[in-house]
Amino acid sequence: MSHLLDRLRFLKKKQSTFANGHGETVKESREWEDGYRQRWQHDKIVRSTHGVNCTGSCSWKIYVKNGLITWETQQTDYPRTRPDLPNHEPRGCPRGASYSWYIYSANRLKYPTVRKRLIKLWREARTTKDPVDAWASIVEDSAKATSYKSMRGQGGFVRSTWDEVNEIIAAANTYTIKEYGPDRVIGFSPIPAMSMVSYAAGARYLSLIGGVCLSFYDWYCDLPPASPMTWGEQTDVPESADWYNSNYIIAWGSNVPQTRTPDAHFFTEVRYKGTKTVSITPDYAEVAKLCDQWLSPKQGTDAALAMAFGHVILKEFHVDNPSAYFTEYCRDYTDMPFLVQLDQREDGSYAAGRFIRASDFDGNMGQDNNPKWKTVAYDEATDSYVVPNGSIGFRWGEKGKWNIEQKEGLEGRSTTLKMSLLDSHDEIASVGFPYFGGVENEYFTHNTFTDIIHHNLPAKRVKLADGSESLLVTVYDLMMANYGIDRGLGGDFVATSYDDNAPYTPAWQEQITGVDRKVAIQIAREFADTANKTKGRSMIIVGAGMNHWYHMDMNYRGLMNMLIMCGCVGQSGGGWAHYVGQEKLRPQTGWTPLAFGLDWQRPPRHMNGTSFFYNHSSQWRYEKLDVTEILSPLADKSKWTGSLIDYNVRAERMGWLPSAPQLDCNPLHITKAAEAAGKTAQEYTVDQLKSGAMNFACEDPDNPKNFPRNMFIWRSNLLGSSGKGHEYLLKYLLGTNHGLMNKDLGEDGIKKPEDVVWHDKGAEGKVDLLVTLDFRMSTTCLYSDIVLPTATWYEKDDLNTSDMHPFIHPLSAATDPAWEARSDWDIYKGIAEKFSEVCVGHLGVEQDLVTIPMQHDSPGELAQPLGVMDWKKGECDPVPGISMPNLVVVERDYPNTYRRFSSIGPLLESAGNGGKGIGWDTKDEVKFLKELNWTHTEEGIHKGRAKLDTAIDACEMILSLAPETNGQVAIKAWAALGEITGLEHTHLARPKADEKIRFRDVQAQPRKIISSPTWSGLEDEHVSYNACYTNVHELIPWRTVTGRQQFYQDHEWMRDFGEGFVSYRPPINTKSVAPLMNKKPNGNPEIALNFITPHQKWGIHSTYSDNLLMLTLSRGGPIIWMSEGDATTTGIEDNDWVEVFNANGAIACRVVVSQRVPDGMTMMYHAQERIVNVPGAETTGTRGGIHNSCTRVCPKPTHMIGGYAQQSYGFNYYGTVGSNRDEFVIVRKMKNIDWLDGEDNDYTQEAAK
Amino acid sequence: MRSLKVISLLLDYPSEELFEVRKDLIEEIRADAALPDEQRAPLIEFIDQLCTTDLLDAQDNYVGLFDRGRSLSLLLFEHVHGESRDRGQAMVDLMAVYEDNGFQIDAKELPDYIPMFLEYQSTRSALEIKQSLADISHILALLETRLKQRESIYSVLCSALIDISGVEVAREELAAKVATEAADDTPEALDKVWEEEMVRFTEPTTQDCGNDAVTQRRRELDKVQPLYISDAVKHFTPTGPSSS
Repeated sequence: MSHLLDRLRFLKKKQSTFANGHGETVKESREWEDGYRQRWQHDKIVRSTHGVNCTGSCSWKIYVKNGLITWETQQTDYPRTRPDLPNHEPRGCPRGASYSWYIYSANRLKYPTVRKRLIKLWREARTTKDPVDAWASIVEDSAKATSYKSMRGQGGFVRSTWDEVNEIIAAANTYTIKEYGPDRVIGFSPIPAMSMVSYAAGARYLSLIGGVCLSFYDWYCDLPPASPMTWGEQTDVPESADWYNSNYIIAWGSNVPQTRTPDAHFFTEVRYKGTKTVSITPDYAEVAKLCDQWLSPKQGTDAALAMAFGHVILKEFHVDNPSAYFTEYCRDYTDMPFLVQLDQREDGSYAAGRFIRASDFDGNMGQDNNPKWKTVAYDEATDSYVVPNGSIGFRWGEKGKWNIEQKEGLEGRSTTLKMSLLDSHDEIASVGFPYFGGVENEYFTHNTFTDIIHHNLPAKRVKLADGSESLLVTVYDLMMANYGIDRGLGGDFVATSYDDNAPYTPAWQEQITGVDRKVAIQIAREFADTANKTKGRSMIIVGAGMNHWYHMDMNYRGLMNMLIMCGCVGQSGGGWAHYVGQEKLRPQTGWTPLAFGLDWQRPPRHMNGTSFFYNHSSQWRYEKLDVTEILSPLADKSKWTGSLIDYNVRAERMGWLPSAPQLDCNPLHITKAAEAAGKTAQEYTVDQLKSGAMNFACEDPDNPKNFPRNMFIWRSNLLGSSGKGHEYLLKYLLGTNHGLMNKDLGEDGIKKPEDVVWHDKGAEGKVDLLVTLDFRMSTTCLYSDIVLPTATWYEKDDLNTSDMHPFIHPLSAATDPAWEARSDWDIYKGIAEKFSEVCVGHLGVEQDLVTIPMQHDSPGELAQPLGVMDWKKGECDPVPGISMPNLVVVERDYPNTYRRFSSIGPLLESAGNGGKGIGWDTKDEVKFLKELNWTHTEEGIHKGRAKLDTAIDACEMILSLAPETNGQVAIKAWAALGEITGLEHTHLARPKADEKIRFRDVQAQPRKIISSPTWSGLEDEHVSYNACYTNVHELIPWRTVTGRQQFYQDHEWMRDFGEGFVSYRPPINTKSVAPLMNKKPNGNPEIALNFITPHQKWGIHSTYSDNLLMLTLSRGGPIIWMSEGDATTTGIEDNDWVEVFNANGAIACRVVVSQRVPDGMTMMYHAQERIVNVPGAETTGTRGGIHNSCTRVCPKPTHMIGGYAQQSYGFNYYGTVGSNRDEFVIVRKMKNIDWLDGEDNDYTQEAAK
Repeated sequence: MRSLKVISLLLDYPSEELFEVRKDLIEEIRADAALPDEQRAPLIEFIDQLCTTDLLDAQDNYVGLFDRGRSLSLLLFEHVHGESRDRGQAMVDLMAVYEDNGFQIDAKELPDYIPMFLEYQSTRSALEIKQSLADISHILALLETRLKQRESIYSVLCSALIDISGVEVAREELAAKVATEAADDTPEALDKVWEEEMVRFTEPTTQDCGNDAVTQRRRELDKVQPLYISDAVKHFTPTGPSSS
């Protein structure tokens, strides 16, 4: 009974454990949790991103507490994608997550800072002189000038005030403009897309005063000239989400997980759909781990592999068993059916000449507008020659026929163009093709045949308008021969099977690349088979590493051809995915007026970066590559004399490439002299040039009147990251301590350039004032005279876009800039204000003569249709815009610079806006901006004009004017294009007609942009963005000679340099190793290795590489990677200190010995800062340099071509590029580790074992 | 304590204004009874030496010392938290201390900038000053040693502050410790700490799971006692919630 009493009836004992005793409930103070709660409390979250030339453009939450930035986390609110597509997020990587460290770091620049010796001279001079005279008294006194220039890079800074530094800068600019010309004021800032208003701030100031903006995309060697050549497009690529639409992906020299971290998930996700992924990298790169198959060709021989792939694809899918899809695609969208003239050679054989044009036939074939620019094909249906629509001649001077409908351009008859003449030829011609696979290079395997290889081709014989006869062949037939495919007509070294070692077979490439022929055949088949079955869903992701070789166009055209011959370009999930820097400035046409001051004056002054640095940092003085080494065996060698600089000079004179500094006199003085002589400025200049009284500045770069005197660098670490020929820049541009060990052409007794004045001693210290804007003490800052502290990416308002996703993204000021820092916009506004004061009395309203090369996407691209002529050699007359640069007089209103800077000028209303050859009216948008930004009310030229006071005002200007962010503008732009094509395109933007994106909108959430004719893909709810989509689906021509994708490049220089068609060319010999090999011994063995500089994991370029968090994950300082084999040969062990050097300079760093790396090459990640952990180099006796210390630029003549349709100059579109992968270095273990700091930590390393 | 105000000014960027009041500065040092006597002469000598140097040279020297790199950073938490995320919160807490005691930051500087911290301290009671300086004496000792190593007269200012804190024993001990690890400040030493060790399969390495040798090595480098923010908060706001 007692049970009832003992037992609880209404209660039960409190359950303190649960889950079988694994859990327990206790009641105790939870106060300790408050610490964590407080830790994560914040006042606000602001959306921003990192403007670091990283294509991530990732959305981040920036946490602010009591006005201080405390930390950042990834945003996760991207707009969703479609039901069948994974979402974009999470985006971000460890580099971005460590950014807030910079803001309050000891490395942060806090105050405007000036070189002490300069400020001392300045303050002394200022006590008695006005600012401009004070500046003159310093720079024109060589002892004074040398005293501060020689200290560059060696410390000695003091703080200053904004007022003072602005005055120095304004005085220097004013004096330079007045004395030498505005084209001697140079600015370098890269990649506008990463913070476009910050870029625009400096560019706007420079453009208003007539200064020069240097291009960067080509200088970085991220520009693949193969893209303009083939497509007439700088670069246009699929967004990363489109990888998910692909059925076969080759990642070729692109290390996606490492360099496209936030996008890599699409690459792995698509494998769950069954897509095969293949990586092609010489080393076992991270991407290899994500792929089903890894191919490892020897570095620099990728084009040989691509040729073999092409050989298999053409043979199996075009000749033996033609794919209907491929054939139709190639007929409609490529130059394959177009006819090429054969040029007869002395031995009776032929070489491919230029495209035959309507003008070659009787009566111009009825085409009176631009007949020299209308290419011809043969129509099967009518058995006659026709001029198909869409060649570049239809683009200008007439309307409605610049499209690629399958019609001829006279009566609009439908056509079926003939691809091959095999079944309807008049005769068989033996055509020679250049063969470079036998060119010997000590470090690469060659595969010797004759240097000209003949193939028998079917040809038609025609009578031309001038009475002569000519043989014509199609590009299709030429292509087959070029890839070594016999069509039963025979020729030299005809391959009978893939196992024959004959040019371009899988067996042939095996000898060069080391890739098993069976694997090459397998991949080519799979790639083409997939494309055939899916209508083009095979993709190649390619990284800039492939583009950094001297013969990059061969690598690139090799794989681009594969994509085109398989119908992949312009199709969802297919095509060319070239990812390099953050090149995609989506609202480009809204941004250009802001950046280049086009609302006040046109045109702006631009210069291509590579040619500028090659010339003005005297890298040409050391040019050891002879032109004959790169000429085609088919070329007449006597025509091609001189050094590479001569070719650049000729290109500038002929109006192909821009010039800055432009002429050997002040362009403000030219207009005055012309007036005095009673001539127009153009007439006067032409006369002076013709008589030789006036010359181009590039013809005598060592003459003080031609120096680039003032230089601005912002948003860039030119001297710590991107400056190829680093030691040359230090010596010649800056005039300071350097590690150069090279001998110039004078010392070496080599033939001097023909068109450039040679001075035995090259001028040093050409730059009088180097101003750098940065938020951290970068290497470039250390070398500057004035360092201006900028706002970080969490302290300014700006815009950011990327090619990897379709969103437009803000940078936002979470807090005011710390210390004395200011945003780039405010800094340049301040400089403009001070300049407008200081220049008074020295500069007023001036007429500035600007030289402009023939521009792509303008009628100027039709300047030189049939041949090359140099007026300086008397081959023709100098005619501006035809045989020499255009000459345009631009009025500068110097005292009103600030008012112009801070208001939207009248030209947008009177002259409209546009881009890429399309123009439209923009009065409505300017009116709207007046209402949105308000107008200036003070008296002056800016009264009643829309304000541009803040960076947000500037953002609104971009967003309102750009078709990508303003639906109404998009409709106008598509309508404008429709007039030219004769087709209706506005349906592409109609659904978004009323969409207008404001700055606050993108702060609320990243916004997807609107489809615009500026780009060749669509921003659509149904397809992911992919390049050339509108060419294929809207029949808009490619902007090339034929209006189609071009396998063939018919410019005379392309043919003479052997690149009419793609082929394999081994790396060049830079000759920088031999002069030093075993010449400065330290007792340890030396080895020459190919020097490869891929992108790293622990930084984005040089940013983050000085951040302790990232250094911790890496090795804490500069490193190279080398193979176990090479390490054994040289007695080097992992983590040893080694010196890496050649004639260009030296690097001191540690070594990582890894199985990842193949023998014969060494990798140094681009770009590790010189300010972190670098001892002295034994060969130079100065502190070891950065990776660019071992490089020197070597330009390629084919990149200088201009005035020729797609091969016409455009800023960052075409021009010389700074390749550097052909370089070799000597690696050896260091003996003495000298930190050069006098702190007794130096030691001697054990000798190599 | 007026001397703290003087040291605050001296540790800030040298200016013409500062040089002009050299005599007043010296006067303050002479007159401040709270200052340990033996600190008077070195401080006065410092003032004389600094204020009679060419201003630009003094500024160049200052920028070279304090505006470059973290080893001589004048931001307290740079030494405590480095690049860790705790730093933001630590600054927020310190700012709250100023505000709780009636001050607002009126310069474009961070709250942990030593001259600002000293200016604030100069308004506090002698006891509080002693405690506050004692709390950061490790950092001061580190700075003092590094400055001495570079043969900079600025070490005098740190010595004075340590003396005021009264942490005599600790001061010497720490100075000795810091001296032994002096080499760790060099690039070579930093590099050693961050170097990646080779994987060995037969003997234990720092890369093995559960091995805290890496942590141990880094701790060795970081011999200065960290100033944990909870301590700082506890001290600066005696009435605030206890965090233990």
